[in-house]
Amino acid sequence: MANYLAQFQSIKTSCDRGVVVSVEDVSDLWPSMKEGFEARVPLKEASLNNRTRNPVRVVNLAAQFILTTDARLRSRFPQDNQFQYLFWFREPYATVLLVSCDDLDDFKTILRPRLKLILQNDDDREWFIVFVSRADPANDPASKMAKKVYARLELDFNTKKRERCCKYDFHAPHPSFWDDFDSKLAECIRNTLDRRVQFYEDEIRKLTEQRFLPIWNFCNFFILKESLAFMFEMANLHEDSLREYDELELCYSETAGTPGKHRDFGGIDHGDDRAALLNPSFKQLTLIVQDDTFREFEFRQYIFACQAKLLFKLGRPLEVAARGHSFVISFSKVLAMHENALPFCFREVWVITACLALLKSTMSHYNGGVMPPDIEREFYRLQGDLYSLCRVKFMRLAYLIGYGHEIEKSPVNSAALSMLPWPKPAIWPALSPDSSAEVLAKEKMILQSKPREKHFNIQRKPLPLEPSLLLREANRRRAFLSVGNISELLESHANDGSGSDVNSRLASKNPSYMSRTFSGPTMSDTRDRPMTLSEVHVAAEYALKLTVSNPDILNSLSSLEEFEKKYMELTKGAADNYHKSWWKRHGVILDGEIAALHFKKGEIDQAAKSYEKVCALYSGEGWHELLADILPNLAECQKILNDEAGYLSSCIRLLSLDSGLFLTKERQLFQAELVRLAHGDMKHPVPLDVSSLITFYGTAGPALELCDGDPGVLQVTVWSGFPDEIVLENLNLTLSASFGADEGVKPIKSAEKHVLKPGKNVITLDLPPQKPGSYVLGALTGQIGHLQFRSHGFSKAGPADSDDFMSYEKPTRPVLKVLSPRPLVDITCAVSSALLMNELQWIGLIIKPLDYSLKGGILHIDAGPGLKIEESHLIEIEGYEPAEGFEKVPIEGGKVALPDWVSDVTTVLWFPVCAIDESMARGTSSALPQKPSIVDGMRMIALKLEFGTFRNQIFERTIAVTFTDPFHVTTRITDKSTDGTLLLQVMLQSQVKATLNIHDAWLDLQDGFEHMSKTDKRPTLSTFPLVISPSSKAGILFTVRLYSNGEEASQQDSILNLKYGITGNRTIGAHTPILAKVEGSGEIVFKITLALQRPVLDPCVAVGFLPFSSDCLRVGQLVNVKWRIERLKNPEADVSSSCRDEVLYEVDANPQNWMVAGRKKGHVSLSKEQGSRIEITVTCVPLVSGYVHPPQLGLPEVGEQNISCNPAGPHLVCVLPPTLSSSYCIPA
Amino acid sequence: MIVCVAVVGHQNNPLYLQSFTGSDDALKLHHIVHCSLDVIDERVNNPKRSASTLNETFLGLLYPTENYKVYGYLTNTKVKLIMVTTDLDVKDADVRSFFRKFHAAYVDAVCNPFHVPGKKITSNSFSERVGTIVRSFGPSMTL
Repeated sequence: MANYLAQFQSIKTSCDRGVVVSVEDVSDLWPSMKEGFEARVPLKEASLNNRTRNPVRVVNLAAQFILTTDARLRSRFPQDNQFQYLFWFREPYATVLLVSCDDLDDFKTILRPRLKLILQNDDDREWFIVFVSRADPANDPASKMAKKVYARLELDFNTKKRERCCKYDFHAPHPSFWDDFDSKLAECIRNTLDRRVQFYEDEIRKLTEQRFLPIWNFCNFFILKESLAFMFEMANLHEDSLREYDELELCYSETAGTPGKHRDFGGIDHGDDRAALLNPSFKQLTLIVQDDTFREFEFRQYIFACQAKLLFKLGRPLEVAARGHSFVISFSKVLAMHENALPFCFREVWVITACLALLKSTMSHYNGGVMPPDIEREFYRLQGDLYSLCRVKFMRLAYLIGYGHEIEKSPVNSAALSMLPWPKPAIWPALSPDSSAEVLAKEKMILQSKPREKHFNIQRKPLPLEPSLLLREANRRRAFLSVGNISELLESHANDGSGSDVNSRLASKNPSYMSRTFSGPTMSDTRDRPMTLSEVHVAAEYALKLTVSNPDILNSLSSLEEFEKKYMELTKGAADNYHKSWWKRHGVILDGEIAALHFKKGEIDQAAKSYEKVCALYSGEGWHELLADILPNLAECQKILNDEAGYLSSCIRLLSLDSGLFLTKERQLFQAELVRLAHGDMKHPVPLDVSSLITFYGTAGPALELCDGDPGVLQVTVWSGFPDEIVLENLNLTLSASFGADEGVKPIKSAEKHVLKPGKNVITLDLPPQKPGSYVLGALTGQIGHLQFRSHGFSKAGPADSDDFMSYEKPTRPVLKVLSPRPLVDITCAVSSALLMNELQWIGLIIKPLDYSLKGGILHIDAGPGLKIEESHLIEIEGYEPAEGFEKVPIEGGKVALPDWVSDVTTVLWFPVCAIDESMARGTSSALPQKPSIVDGMRMIALKLEFGTFRNQIFERTIAVTFTDPFHVTTRITDKSTDGTLLLQVMLQSQVKATLNIHDAWLDLQDGFEHMSKTDKRPTLSTFPLVISPSSKAGILFTVRLYSNGEEASQQDSILNLKYGITGNRTIGAHTPILAKVEGSGEIVFKITLALQRPVLDPCVAVGFLPFSSDCLRVGQLVNVKWRIERLKNPEADVSSSCRDEVLYEVDANPQNWMVAGRKKGHVSLSKEQGSRIEITVTCVPLVSGYVHPPQLGLPEVGEQNISCNPAGPHLVCVLPPTLSSSYCIPA
Repeated sequence: MIVCVAVVGHQNNPLYLQSFTGSDDALKLHHIVHCSLDVIDERVNNPKRSASTLNETFLGLLYPTENYKVYGYLTNTKVKLIMVTTDLDVKDADVRSFFRKFHAAYVDAVCNPFHVPGKKITSNSFSERVGTIVRSFGPSMTL
């Protein structure tokens, strides 16, 4: 059966036009029907059964009609019927019998026998009859006949189960004919397919059962399987076809793995290095047959190609990529197993070409495809994977031929290459005989290439790009050389992991060795000695040229420029695709590789951009080790680009990395760069965030507490990450209120220079008064040269952990609490009762600090009008508790400086004042007792205390102190004798809370009075000294009489003189005046005027109130108020104007109660005759109802004492509410 | 053999990384671990595609490359444990048990009252314990 492989292949390739439908043209109708038939294919829709016998809708099923007489069908019958089934897929799936008959007899005699004959041959065939009626519809008999014939045909060939006939009217085709035709055709194809599938499966089962028998032949199995798969494929059942191939692959890998037999692997033909995993027709299968199976190398690719083809047909490029990627990886492993039989680096080349082919085809099939975003991302991820796989292999090849020094020794390259084993050829390629020139060139290239120096002179051991030293590996693999050779010996102490460096190191260390290496003639003995590195490269390059058949790859490896071009293309491809996928990190990191390439080409701008992305990625997630590797590169780009801000920021970031990542020397260099630039000629100040480098925190312990308005001193610990001391030109700290809206807290400025030591520094800042609230540290800003730095970095305690800057944690612990305004001191008056007026008295102030020191406080005492501070006296300060101290201090200009000892204790401050009252005290008559008003004796003292650290706290208060005369004097005439002698009682009421001792009293009488004993002005009974307790009364009697000397009045008032002493405590109130005390006698004279009145005269005018005319007064009603004035006696000549012939009157009425309609004030004439009388009438309107005072009539010019009210007017009158008025009512 | 184990915090920040290659090339392992976060992110953020493994802490093989394999494990605090091995023939069950031990060690390390959560693990005893777990993993192979 296996012999049919070639035939099978050729048949398969020829069956590209779909399923075959044979046409048995019985009545020579084909030429006229052909066009109509062929217009039906591909079948638009057909329902077929898949492998599991489930109906599947298949669209555009390709089919071709072939006449049974056609040579294509005739020649097919194989000679050997046994294996006919192998090619069954190409046999007709249906037979259409194309017949026509006009006559019933003809049908019976000719057509029916013929059809029976045709159909009797094979029972398997699926067929149906198309009866073509050529009768003209106009020709009725003919069409009737045709109908009859067709009916007969149906009767003969249709069965109950199946209708096999359809009728086509040539001249007027029925519209449903073609649908009928299609469905019949599809039915035939379905049935045939089912039968064949069943058959194939039975065969396959049979064969599978023999799998472990010696006669098992994979090729047979393959042909059967592939026939089935191909049949499915022809029927557009791609899914089923794919499954067949999958099973085939599984079966192959199971059988290929069976041990025992040695089989050729393949892959040694020219062109095999070009992966054919997408090209099923790459090699004839017959060429790869080996015994009873296929060569693995070709066959695996073939199967994958078939699968890929079907997947593309199914529109699943993603699956091709996914399967392709894993296929490439697994196949690469297979290649590795057979590597010693394959050409040098065959595996790498194959992977490169396979990846490129997969990329190309999947991308071209993907284009325009609409996929859900998830799938799309996955697709791009796979593309990226393919690109990077290809890239790695490409780098490996490049390294082998000596471009290693051009490959960036980055973590990504190192991870990919250093864990990838070297190729393991049976024998490492040797140097071709005439390659001395190439070796020299390579030597030169290696020497010329300088290992890229890291910026800032950072010395790092470069990451390896090789699993082990190439030189050693190459020489070891040259079977005839021993391991220990000269270069190895030298390497053992020059082994720094970088293969490309070895040679240069050798050259510098061992000149004799170098001369031997570089001298041309010694090349002849290369086979006997270990190869040098450049020889290894040249030999590898030569071997590679033999391996690679793809001109593109050859070209890419031909020169450094081409290599870089290809390398860039692959890296970019991988990065771009990863960017579109979920794998952003992969993309960004490859951007870093692109950046390195840009940098090398001098495209610094682009390099910087890419480096920035990579740095952002690493720093964002705190991968400091990786960041430390790439950040110097970015810094270098920025330096070249003169991007000062960027460069500074990079320096800061370098400094803020874990200090273990760089040497101290390097870190010092970063700082030096920073300082150089900051103090250099930068045009504009550069703002920079140094949160990770300079952190700060408040001092431990409770927060600083300040009273409102107090300035303070805040201590902040600043942690500097700089390796050396750094000078900060100024430093500002913002505090932010921990609660409430922050309305722009002003930063605390410190203009002085600060030098930060590495590590912890304590900085003291003067704190201006802040608003009440609690504050946390905000930001620290400052300047280093032109550099304006700003730090938000808080560290809780101790040096900041390096990954602090990932999360800015705002500290919650407040560093400052400014308390809400509260009284800090209280000053009250120590004196509770009145002091003596016009005498020097002590006033005490109780100064009580409320948990606040008054140190350095100054008290301003400002005496108000009528009060004078006696500054010639010292002020006394005594402790509230007497033990606390006593001191006398001067007062100057109303200011008292408080001594230190009073700052924390309650003290009483006494100062002397004198309240001045110019007017003399006046006694009152007992008839009109009049208490002296307190307000008259009230004096104000404004106090202002400045205290606090900077005298910023101000306490202001005005206190009132009352002063009073010692006595209140009232007089009374207690008795009056007929001879005009009056007994005058003078009552003294003590006004102070002190004991008064009256030592003496005398009365200077006014004119019109005289003492009974003309010489003695003293009281009638002398009981001095008279002691008057606080608030008590005493009386003195004087005997006086009326006297008139007719002289001009010289003294209007009498004056009572009292000589007294006072015994009082200054803490209570009035006390002995200071001066009196000084003089020693302690006696004071108090004078008071007394107005003595002559006895009252008879009244000369009588005013009478006349009753109202109406009974009741009403609001709003006019009423006449009448008074009668009557002269009672003749006015005396000397009596004043009160008794002229006209009288001034005035009506006094409360304007709220009354409206006066007439003249309120005026003169009326009143005769001087005794008994003359007049009546005054004033019209008034009461305004409110109720009991109100009536208007009063006054006579201003006549003294009240001269007026007698007769009859007296009523106290109150009743006013009724107004009568209801309807005039304001609006009718409803 | 296991070449590297790592603990990565929930913000994808490295908390612990130990290389067992013996040579001074830890940076490339940093790179491998960092890149494998892509895969973890993808799996965690695409629950649709990994519905079956969503409730499991063991994430399985993250990264099949030709030369090494990366396995991942996600704790319920979103801390990732990552292991890189050059052993290409590893049984899942072995890796699972490895991660279970590794996770237990990690939990003990962060239970240390002197450990600041979210900061790198600097405990020596943790390193030693991890070293023991790594050495006991599978049959030891040479590079």
